[in-house]
Amino acid sequence: MKKDKLKIGIYELTGCAGDALLILDCEDELINIFHAADIRSFLMAKSDNIDGELDVALVEGSVSTERDLQELLDIRKRSKVLVAIGLCATAGGNQAAFLDPREWEDNLKKVYGRTEMTHTKPLQSKPLNAYVKVDHYLPGCPIDREQFLSTLTRLLAGHPPELHRFPVCVECKWRENDCLLNRGILCLGPLTAAGCRAVCPSHNLPCVGCWGPAEEANYTAEYQLLMEKGFDREMILRKMSTFSGTAIADFAARIRGVKK
Amino acid sequence: MKTISISHLARVEGAGGVTATIDGQVVTDVKFIINEGPRLFERLTIGKTPEEDLNIVPRICAICTLSHRYAALRALEKALAIKEPPKVLLLRELMHLGEMIESHSLHVYLLALPDYLGYPNAIAMASKYGFEAKVGLEMKQFGNHIMKTLSGRFVHGENPILGGFGRFPTREELVFIKNRAVQFLPFALKTVQLMCELPYPEIPESDTLFVCCHPAAGQFGFMGDEVILSNGDLVDAQEYKKVTNEFIVSHSFCKRSQYDGKPYSVGALARINNLGERLEGEAGRAFKKYFNARWKKNPLFNNAAQALEILYSFERIPQVIEEALKMPDPEPVGWGRDTGKAVGAVEAPRGILFHAYDVSAGRIAHTDIVTPTAQNAEDIERYCFIAAQTLLKKGEEAKIRDRMDLVIRAFDPCISCSAHMVQVKQAPNEDWKTRLQELASGGETAFVGLGREDRSDDAAGLELARLLRDRGSKNVRLAEDLSEETAPAVGTRPLVFLDAVDFGEKPGKICLLPLRFVLWNTSLSHRLAALTGLPLDSEQLLGAHLLGIQPASIAEGGPISAEVREAMNEILEMLGN
Repeated sequence: MKKDKLKIGIYELTGCAGDALLILDCEDELINIFHAADIRSFLMAKSDNIDGELDVALVEGSVSTERDLQELLDIRKRSKVLVAIGLCATAGGNQAAFLDPREWEDNLKKVYGRTEMTHTKPLQSKPLNAYVKVDHYLPGCPIDREQFLSTLTRLLAGHPPELHRFPVCVECKWRENDCLLNRGILCLGPLTAAGCRAVCPSHNLPCVGCWGPAEEANYTAEYQLLMEKGFDREMILRKMSTFSGTAIADFAARIRGVKK
Repeated sequence: MKTISISHLARVEGAGGVTATIDGQVVTDVKFIINEGPRLFERLTIGKTPEEDLNIVPRICAICTLSHRYAALRALEKALAIKEPPKVLLLRELMHLGEMIESHSLHVYLLALPDYLGYPNAIAMASKYGFEAKVGLEMKQFGNHIMKTLSGRFVHGENPILGGFGRFPTREELVFIKNRAVQFLPFALKTVQLMCELPYPEIPESDTLFVCCHPAAGQFGFMGDEVILSNGDLVDAQEYKKVTNEFIVSHSFCKRSQYDGKPYSVGALARINNLGERLEGEAGRAFKKYFNARWKKNPLFNNAAQALEILYSFERIPQVIEEALKMPDPEPVGWGRDTGKAVGAVEAPRGILFHAYDVSAGRIAHTDIVTPTAQNAEDIERYCFIAAQTLLKKGEEAKIRDRMDLVIRAFDPCISCSAHMVQVKQAPNEDWKTRLQELASGGETAFVGLGREDRSDDAAGLELARLLRDRGSKNVRLAEDLSEETAPAVGTRPLVFLDAVDFGEKPGKICLLPLRFVLWNTSLSHRLAALTGLPLDSEQLLGAHLLGIQPASIAEGGPISAEVREAMNEILEMLGN
């Protein structure tokens, strides 16, 4: 008996649309995906979109307006499996850096001169799991093509995705790069989730942390090591805050009180 | 109330929509809405180092990621007195050409062409136009390949840094790109033929102002230290605010721009209109063959202009690489100073992009970024309005939705930079009353009467203003009474002009609509040209409204007609409450 095709929807909340673009960039594979799965909704690629029951919803972007929130709640209601794709969805992204609501509102006023809008209410940017249950996380700014394809293939076969839980530092060793920390350059590789194949260190550039904090990284030991190497707390937190989104609060809490 | 609305625009990058409101024969409102939430990027960079700024700002937009990085690099290097070696400049141009090919091929073949050929998406189009879809994809992949080679990744690569690159491309990598570019030329020529010979619809057509970077030395190109306007004005990029004049509208998180009180267009069509004469080789020949007066007024030709730029890019790549191969990889360049202020301008695929920074002791103190879609937003709204109004007058209301969709997509808006569903709204008879009340909620409304005394119904605006004044309303003026002294009394209040306007409706019909729509409507605007001579500031005019009454006659020497009298009484009654 022929199995029904899996119904998939790809959605963009507030962000740079980089993850949807990366999916479009899968070109040849994309044509296979359109054959293997029933793509019900993918705004960037097609105009005949249907919003019904879904087996898998892939959602990128952070919740940054009331409208984003309503859309997310609706997607969650009609999807069996919800996957957060990209850093904005998994951790909030760059725009979630203002953690304090007053600081956020103050900055909103500085950019727009006022905070009220007629079309939708702005909200402090947050990752998807601040509002709904997220089944799987595909991190990255943007997501990686191979990791996306392997995740989707596993989901199509009815299995949960298998992602790296270790930091970029491990991938960097696999590529046999010289360690930038040994050259006195502050690299966030030991603290950042893997999956990019250590692209920046492979270009002689420090990891900037764009996949968000790694689940299994040893924050306190690395922080202590960086302090010993002469980097200060302000610099480490400033660099980590660029891409950690709301996860920076956890990082800051775990290094609190750690001494040289 | 009847609304045509597209709440989710498909096949654009990001989330946006447009709504048009129709009252009888008049389009009373069009809103290009960008649903992207506020991301506050300019504020996110404050206190960061210039290197960290370069990690952050490309994330504004995935498809223009390298243009953002390029503009930021140009601004920061100028601010910090970093002198880029010539090879670095050439390789940056190469990476930017890669982005141009990638973005334009994606847009032309996968996002826009399905519209013109009548398919919902490129996959469906591929069944009949397999060759076009395949070549489009291959060109896009090649653009991606260039971007990846130079920047390190398909999207948000970090390799281009202040003064140079983390890793320079190898000779083999550059030779490969050069040879592939030559192989693509015949397909680029086919793309030009296909896109320049499409039967673009004639609605909407209206003149506009085109704005783009002015490359040095008489060349075509995608960056410059000056900005050139189609009216001949040249503006130093450091003084970009003279061009952009940003303002905010309440229905979008995307800021708007106007030059000299008028919307303008940026992007491929602007560059071809302003600089097409400078194209050489095959691109130059194609320009001479296809360019005509319609390119100056029809935004749909942006797709043809993109095809010309794809061809230009494929011809330019081998030249850039040959030059670069003659030079050794330069050593890293240090900062000349740690404090400074500068603006960087480049052409993103969809138009001119400005990054302005103030760096103090090695930290970003102030950032201002003006994106192309923000600059186009006002003209997108204007062309949607013209399309909707023209089709409505021709009795082709059913076409409005798809046409607005087509117009927006032609601009290739990058909605994450700032944004599917077009909705047409039919206003109920009392709509003007509700909207007038809404206006008054922003403060006591000021009224200015317009018209001519001796021309029957054309005196209605003046007469209405006098009647209002007689009844004790304070903030009422006649146009001729407005002077430098009395204008400030109108102050910052919501401003409403009263006038008889020919909407092509039944005599006595009342319509309230944003003044800028009236100025955009070519059949009405000549009557309101006098407005720009009034001593009111442009921001106030921008937000002003027109309360118009359809006249029965504007013949010389006649009285005001009974229908218009009745409408005037209705207005007086409404304002009395």
